[in-house]
Amino acid sequence: MQKIEINPMTRLEGHGKITIFLDESGNVETTFFQVMEFMGYERFLIGMPLEEVPRTVTTICGV
Amino acid sequence: MSKPKLAYYLAGGCAGCDISMVDLADYLVDVLTAVEVVFFAPTLVDVKYEDFEKLPDGSVDVGFFSGNVRNKEHEHMAKVMRDKCKILIAFGICACTGGIKGLVNLFETEEILEKVYKETASADNPDGVLPSPKVVVDGKYELELPELTPARALDQVVEVDYYIGGCPPHYEPLRKAVSALLEGNLPPKGSWITGGHAVCDVCPRNPVKKGKKKRSVVEVKRVIEGEIPEDKCLLESGYLCLGPVTQGDCGALCPKVNMPCRGCGGPLPGTKDYGLAAINTIAAVLEDKDLIQKFLDPVYLVYRYSLPKTMLRKLDQEK
Repeated sequence: MQKIEINPMTRLEGHGKITIFLDESGNVETTFFQVMEFMGYERFLIGMPLEEVPRTVTTICGV
Repeated sequence: MSKPKLAYYLAGGCAGCDISMVDLADYLVDVLTAVEVVFFAPTLVDVKYEDFEKLPDGSVDVGFFSGNVRNKEHEHMAKVMRDKCKILIAFGICACTGGIKGLVNLFETEEILEKVYKETASADNPDGVLPSPKVVVDGKYELELPELTPARALDQVVEVDYYIGGCPPHYEPLRKAVSALLEGNLPPKGSWITGGHAVCDVCPRNPVKKGKKKRSVVEVKRVIEGEIPEDKCLLESGYLCLGPVTQGDCGALCPKVNMPCRGCGGPLPGTKDYGLAAINTIAAVLEDKDLIQKFLDPVYLVYRYSLPKTMLRKLDQEK
């Protein structure tokens, strides 16, 4: 089984990877899309003064 | 003469810095005709990691690295960028000092994963699966994810030549920085490329600029308390503002719209630990030391953009 990785996925914001598995005759058997990005705002926003949250979460995505 | 080669990599960031670069707009046309872009991932150019890795070491003139280093892939790419680029620039506050996303260092990775993938209201994960660096699907498809690490600034992984702060970097200072790069008119290695003024220096609220003396702080308030005066110094009025210790390439954008500075411009030259400098400065202007009890959360205040660079947890990180 052959494995093809497309890394990174380009022309987008964020990090993604596509992995394609080919069968014996070279046809696509299955494909996976993975998101490599992990931030953790859900946790570190807990405890932050509420009035600071709006200008903090704007950095989740800057596009 | 061949054109200088430029590479850009977005690691643990939000692409706000990439947008800042694109926001050079009219000037960007001049830049793009003067340089050859060999890598700009993942946002703008289709070159893949393995193609970039094949370039000879030292063959790229300038590399911009935005975002912090949050996993093994970022770490690997930081090293690749260092090898390929003659000049490596930490671009934006995440790459310089860790950024807002550096606040993850307050918690263990497992705790954050549990929160995000199991406990949030929107989590749809009946089997309680957490991401792991290696996984085999249906017993035969092997997939990999880069292992998470604590957030680090770029210079905690590789040597950095220049720093450009800001969340994100602003038009005018960025234009000056890029033209200095193109002209080879650069400050000493290891410098921040900046206008060199603190936020207070460029803030219209600064009493010193109106010929008045600075007064000490007699009360500490949240921005949701009281009415924020439109022309008085925020710090004097009791709203903790980090303008005195922050680079003002932004032109004091936040104080101009009634929001106290939180330090995205980065530390003034010579500051080793931004948070310590900030708390030191604020403590020095307090009328009464008991006012410090009114600080809601000092870490979120003074280390909003620079937690990974703190000296306070150095022992922890060395373990």
